[in-house]
Amino acid sequence: MTLLPHGHGGSVDNGRRLGRFTAIAAAVMMLAMVAGCSSKQSGAGAGTPGGPGGIGENGLGANGSSSLNQFQKGTLGANGQGPLSDIHFDYNDYSVRAQDGEILKSNADWMGKNSAARVQIEGHCDNRGSEEYNIALGAKRAQAAKDYLETLGVTADRMSTISYGKELPVCTEDTDECWAQNRRDHFVVQQ
Amino acid sequence: MGATRAAGPDALTEKMIRRFISTVAALVLLSLGGTGVARAERLHMTFNQPGATVAPIAVSEFKNLGGDDQGTASHDFVRILRRDLELSGFFSIISPKSYIEDPQKSGYDLGKFNFADWSSLNADFLVKGAVTVNGGQVSVEVLMFDVAQQRRMFGTRFSGGPGDVEQMARRFADSVLKAVTGIQGPFDTRIAFVSTRGGRFKEIYLAAPDGGGLFRVTDNPTINLFPKFAHSPASVLYLSYKTGEPALYLFDVAGRTEIRIGSAHGNVIGGALSPDGHRIVAAVESGGHTNLFLLERSGEEIRQLTDGHAINVNPAFSADGQQLAFTSDRSGTPQVYVMSLGGGPARRVTFQGDYNTSPSFSPDGKWLAYQSRSGGFNIFIIPAAGGQPAQLTQDARSNQSPCWSPDGRYLIFSSNRGGHERLYLMQINTQSQTGKVISALMEDEGNDTSPTWSWWLGG
Repeated sequence: MTLLPHGHGGSVDNGRRLGRFTAIAAAVMMLAMVAGCSSKQSGAGAGTPGGPGGIGENGLGANGSSSLNQFQKGTLGANGQGPLSDIHFDYNDYSVRAQDGEILKSNADWMGKNSAARVQIEGHCDNRGSEEYNIALGAKRAQAAKDYLETLGVTADRMSTISYGKELPVCTEDTDECWAQNRRDHFVVQQ
Repeated sequence: MGATRAAGPDALTEKMIRRFISTVAALVLLSLGGTGVARAERLHMTFNQPGATVAPIAVSEFKNLGGDDQGTASHDFVRILRRDLELSGFFSIISPKSYIEDPQKSGYDLGKFNFADWSSLNADFLVKGAVTVNGGQVSVEVLMFDVAQQRRMFGTRFSGGPGDVEQMARRFADSVLKAVTGIQGPFDTRIAFVSTRGGRFKEIYLAAPDGGGLFRVTDNPTINLFPKFAHSPASVLYLSYKTGEPALYLFDVAGRTEIRIGSAHGNVIGGALSPDGHRIVAAVESGGHTNLFLLERSGEEIRQLTDGHAINVNPAFSADGQQLAFTSDRSGTPQVYVMSLGGGPARRVTFQGDYNTSPSFSPDGKWLAYQSRSGGFNIFIIPAAGGQPAQLTQDARSNQSPCWSPDGRYLIFSSNRGGHERLYLMQINTQSQTGKVISALMEDEGNDTSPTWSWWLGG
């Protein structure tokens, strides 16, 4: 019978991928050393296989790595805020709340003073509901902040967006407080 | 694995014979007789309500005709067959401890054993068999009997390697369901799902619907989501953040190779494979708007299916490939819609509740299963043409991502009702619009989510 491999298939193309992983991890490590940043980054969490758009450290402190990168290292939610602060959203909603206008103003000011910096805006959701719908909702949240920052003078070409939906919670309990913390935009300074 | 099915009591077996012959490797016909059409019809009727009739069945270990001295092949087959028949919800397995007969000392075919040994256990049905292992080749002959009528219902011969024995049992379980309920069972198939077993990261796995035959598809410490099959489980479409950004990947199981499917329009955040595997519908996000695109299997764009500023996600094909169900918040809240891939506007199907997502078509195209927020999240079904929804789970926690079995009698879904996220099998009846949760399929340390179900491996 040759319909499908069954039984313990084990990992898939692990060897090939591991080779790339090692090469990329080494490259990321070297970059980090050249940039003179601290050596808190471990080899194991140093990135994932991938080409352009891959995940990597850039030596700018807590805000310098994506939430996915922090999740890989097990530090998601453990870091303090970097130069840019998170904003939060109501349930199943993506409009910027009035009280978060000040935070975006402060973020825009920082971007104005650091004119070489680029930012990736991450949209996140709480852990209720469909995963795919939440990725789309997180994209709307990221876009809402991008549009808002643009009105404050940050040019669109300095901003990119990504949504992680409900996949990267900073708080993992099923409480209103946790859900509120997870419905957020996180701002990652990229250079 | 070769399998030959010979005449049973009902006319539908003609189709079965053709199906098996088309995939057969070793063709051996069993001569079978028997009447009992009336009983079969009565059974088909009484078995159509979930949980209404549960028939006691005995599944005996097989007689060793040579080479299976440790009983390994027999144990593998019998263990899976008992598991699948129990999971089907139509049978209860009579405890093997109570069996009177020693299968090694008695015969296995009609006239070679004593039905009184089984009627005294109140068995309605009995499965017996014989096994030969020779040079790495396992040959199994399995027979099903109606104990009350002392009649042989059907028999099948399988041959293959030792690693094929479990799959032989799944195929036989499907035939047992066919013989008793009139509809082939759903076990000779594959499910795909997301699991965090063995770590913190969501990875894609394949397995049989009974949880056996586990096969790991992805191994990257990022986020892997939404595995989808065509009817065939030969390829798996899934979403991964493995490069740091989301994209679809189409993984070929036999070759263990894959292609990346991106979009020039933006970030791909979800997708589905058409039943024939030739096409993909991708959900593509750009500027905060997520729309559906029809693509070739290669990823080449055919046309845009939805337009505008809303969220359009969760694409799901009907079994004939003509209809597409999906979730859209174009009305202000996420609701389930259906569109014809031949053109024309999308039609809203759900109107009750303010959070309805994740539709799955029944195999006959008449029903949609979906999840709805009602306290927690629960599983509902609704006529695809529109109508009244029926709630199948009543739970304060999350019951999500329903997917129909290819025989139309089960839904698989994920639930955290027991703490961890698990995959659950639910027996459903669309006529009475009722469902009965049978069991969690697997117990492991991680969370299992996003199940999807292929059609039959055997054709």
